[in-house]
Amino acid sequence: MRLGTANAFDRTLLNITNRQASLAELQEKLSAGKKVLRASDDPTGAAQSERAQTRITRVEIEQRALSLQKNSMSLAESTLGDAQSLMQQIRQLVVQAGDATLTPADRRSLAQEMRSLRDQLFTYANKQDSNGVPLFGGLASANAPFVDLTTGVVFNGIPGQKSGGPVNIPSAMDGQAVFMNVPSGNGVFNMALGATNAGQLWTDPGRVLTPGLLTGDNYSVTFNVDSTVTPPVTTYDVVNTTTATPVLTAQPYVDGQDITFDGLSFVARGVPADGDTLAITPSTRTDIFAVVDAAIAAVDGQPNGHVFTQNNSLSLSQLDSAMDRIQSARGTAGELLKRADIIDSNQEDKTIQLEADRSRAEDMDMVKGISQFETQQLGYNAALQTYAQIQRLSLFNYIS
Amino acid sequence: MSSILNIGVLALNANQAALQTVSNNIANVNTPGYSRQQVVLQNIQGQYTGSGYFGKGVDVLTVTRSYNDFLNRQAASAQAVSTADTTRLNKLNQLETYFKVGSNGLGATISDFMNAFSDIVSAPTDLTARSVALTRADEMASRFNQMYLQLDQMRIGNTEELKTAATAINDLARQIAKANQDISRSLGNGQQPNDLLDQRDQLIRNLNKYIQTTTIPADDGTLGIFIGGSQALVLGTTVSPVSIQLDKYSDLSKAKLAVAVAGAPPMLLDENTLGGGEVSGMLRFQNQDLLEARNLLGRLALAIGTKLNEQQALGIDLNGNAGSPLFSLPALPDGLAHVNNTGTAALSLAIQTTPTSGVSAFVATDYDVVFATGTTGTITRQSDGTQVAFDTAVTNPVLIDGLELTISAGAAAGDRYVLKPFSNAASSISTAFASPRGLAMASPITAIAGANNAGTVTLEGLRVDAVPTTLPAPAVTLRFIGTGQYIRSDDANYAGLVATLDGPPPLDPASPAYAAAIAAHPAGERYTYVPGQVIGADDRTTNLPFDPATEWSWSLTLKGVPQPGDTYAVDVNPYPQLNADNAQAMLDLRDLAMFDGGPLTDGYASAIAVIGTRILSAQSAAAVSADIASNLEKERTSIQGVNLDEEAARLIQFQQAYQASGKMMQVAQTIFDTLLASIGR
Repeated sequence: MRLGTANAFDRTLLNITNRQASLAELQEKLSAGKKVLRASDDPTGAAQSERAQTRITRVEIEQRALSLQKNSMSLAESTLGDAQSLMQQIRQLVVQAGDATLTPADRRSLAQEMRSLRDQLFTYANKQDSNGVPLFGGLASANAPFVDLTTGVVFNGIPGQKSGGPVNIPSAMDGQAVFMNVPSGNGVFNMALGATNAGQLWTDPGRVLTPGLLTGDNYSVTFNVDSTVTPPVTTYDVVNTTTATPVLTAQPYVDGQDITFDGLSFVARGVPADGDTLAITPSTRTDIFAVVDAAIAAVDGQPNGHVFTQNNSLSLSQLDSAMDRIQSARGTAGELLKRADIIDSNQEDKTIQLEADRSRAEDMDMVKGISQFETQQLGYNAALQTYAQIQRLSLFNYIS
Repeated sequence: MSSILNIGVLALNANQAALQTVSNNIANVNTPGYSRQQVVLQNIQGQYTGSGYFGKGVDVLTVTRSYNDFLNRQAASAQAVSTADTTRLNKLNQLETYFKVGSNGLGATISDFMNAFSDIVSAPTDLTARSVALTRADEMASRFNQMYLQLDQMRIGNTEELKTAATAINDLARQIAKANQDISRSLGNGQQPNDLLDQRDQLIRNLNKYIQTTTIPADDGTLGIFIGGSQALVLGTTVSPVSIQLDKYSDLSKAKLAVAVAGAPPMLLDENTLGGGEVSGMLRFQNQDLLEARNLLGRLALAIGTKLNEQQALGIDLNGNAGSPLFSLPALPDGLAHVNNTGTAALSLAIQTTPTSGVSAFVATDYDVVFATGTTGTITRQSDGTQVAFDTAVTNPVLIDGLELTISAGAAAGDRYVLKPFSNAASSISTAFASPRGLAMASPITAIAGANNAGTVTLEGLRVDAVPTTLPAPAVTLRFIGTGQYIRSDDANYAGLVATLDGPPPLDPASPAYAAAIAAHPAGERYTYVPGQVIGADDRTTNLPFDPATEWSWSLTLKGVPQPGDTYAVDVNPYPQLNADNAQAMLDLRDLAMFDGGPLTDGYASAIAVIGTRILSAQSAAAVSADIASNLEKERTSIQGVNLDEEAARLIQFQQAYQASGKMMQVAQTIFDTLLASIGR
């Protein structure tokens, strides 16, 4: 077959140019370290790597948010720890105030000390994180979720606890649950002395013996002193005032002995006067500040006596309940922090996985790339050499 | 003796002619379009004598060119196809540089913008975080504008190139007509005008680079040149000039090639019938590839902009107002009417808002609307040809792919329109306000746990789906009546059951009376609680129908185990300042199934994949057609081209023959001398 000389030159030249172009492209990819520089190099790979890249950025952002959430939560946790030790100090002061050798003036100064601790506790409740968001704001709140009014502390927020997601933890705790939800009395029922009691009667906060038997009704205990006999005989009656049915009638009263009915039990002490009463009501919800305020009021300038003893023991019981709340909230915070650590390590694994995906999709396999480059270079060399040799061949060289 | 001399002279002439032709061949070895020429020699009829016929020498009959009509035509049209594919590929490669991948791409910009809301979630009142989000929104919008501008520049540049090409086509057509004229004249003298024919062939080959042609020879030696299958570009010496025109819908983004036959208006040619050539490649690029790129970009801008505006409207800004739109978006363009329409209907487009927002259903395509009668017809998606019938007498506006098409009266049967919902969406998207306080990051409603909740129920999320037109709407309380059951305060019998359960006297949840009260409650008003499952505002199954005009639409997700008596309420958010639930909702949009079912943040990745795939197929088409063209050209030049080695051989051959002829005359001279010498003695 004949060959058009001009066409043969053109074709060879085109081949050489093409080889040069593909060599240059491979070199560009090698120097960038990527096999996908443009979407058309591998549309699927480019989209994969783009998606992986988007997700890597997203994990970074999520991690940044998580670290803030972690900071807030650990701040909340340590604040709760501080609150706990404050409560402990208040409790110690209450115990100290119980010392019968103290005068009302001594107790007044103890109460002063308790007040300053209580103020400190209040600032803890309103503590904010580094971004100015309250730590105990619940689902949403004002800038300061707790307001100290003369009528008591009010929670200016929305009660509720956010749950953490797969990549985040809540950055605020439910202030309502932590500070505003302390059971009064011993947690199940309240013991109160009758307002008109004339005797020296007091009780402990009481306890639950058999939870299944509890009714949740109101009771009244009335003491009767029969002074016609010597020594006078003291008995008591217990009436369920909710259903208006007698529970116990004419039981002999022994100082320091348990009085037990309907699954609950308490110890009455001292010498009741005839007609003295005790009221037993189901526990209601109060707040930590009210508990502390009550403890302060029970101590402040109070002389020794049955009322002081009664209130002081109630204070201790309520302070314990309050501390339980704080302790349990602290446990929740610790749980969330632990969860944050797990998320952290999951996210790290995810980043590594995504980075691997991205790399697989777009990074150049250097060994393969360089060997490809060598092959192409060899081909290019051969093309140049043969071109140079063939173009020298011509019959005209032999005509002289 | 004189005949020897004669023959010698003839031979000398003939070989000289042959040598001249060889020289001409050598001279034109690199001339494009030159066909190798050869002298055709013929022996002269011999003279009769008694001893038989004596040859009288050689004569040059003609000079022919080596020519194969079939190969010539094949090579030209293969060249045309290859030029079309290469032109389109080059354009697509240019287009691709605007669709950058990785951290410089629009995808990263979108993702950065969406991620900026994360910092607002962490610090709702931080104006810096808000400013960053707003700046990124602005950056994304201007990135859209910029890309739109680049694509539009490509369109303008492409149209200009097309016009230049049309001028070149007309120029070549006129030259061919002139060549036709010259050739038909030259044929009159009985010899083939080889060089003129070569020239005309070369003109046709040049023309084929711009547009593929078919040729039909006429008896007078002229060639008819046809484009687009059957449109005459050159007939004999008449030229029908081509031009670049808008299509019949006056669609500015498209271009059409038109032929103007004398005395008739320009006739538009379908680019799919053009075959090959630069013009065909550029038309295909502009009318298909660039159009799709613009639609993909426009859809991204419109969908993201609209979705974020919708989410923004569901929130409360730092000034306590409902969010105003974050992005201002161009209005969707009206349908373009066909020039031959006889009706007067106007077709206007809007984004579907009811029953649900249409943004997730967008398809990046244009639509053809054809009326069968004044009120009925079909809408065809250009991307995949899916057809939807409509009847405006029954439904108007017509819903299609998340769009609302309102058709005014006045359409005539056979009227045609084209809808281009996304063509200009990226052109003027911009942020609508500059104050970071305007970002509506707070949720207007909140979930509220009962103050005395004893269970472990926590709030996983509360999403606002729609805001009632009359604000504020009543609160809804969910009260748990067991660990797996709850009742709703917006049901009719709620208050009655609550009064029974709470007393006085309050019923113990473990008591038979409690169980009896629950059992007596209508079953339809008792709902099963599954932790993590979404509870919707409109999940109410019973007597009271849900009214979105007066009630909040929300989706609540709770986790944990409730105790009987625990409540969770959804009510107006009294503390919008420190709330960033709407920012969280915006973050959640990242995963919204949006672009053909893919998540919002992957919209760009799929767009570049579409363009990459187009380029890949254009690449292989260009490679194949270039290979075919190159092979055919090789075949053609193997017949028509000059081979220098061959010419060298011929040179020697004819040179020797020439020398021999000279010798012949020397012999005649010698014979004559001998004769003279013998006579003179």
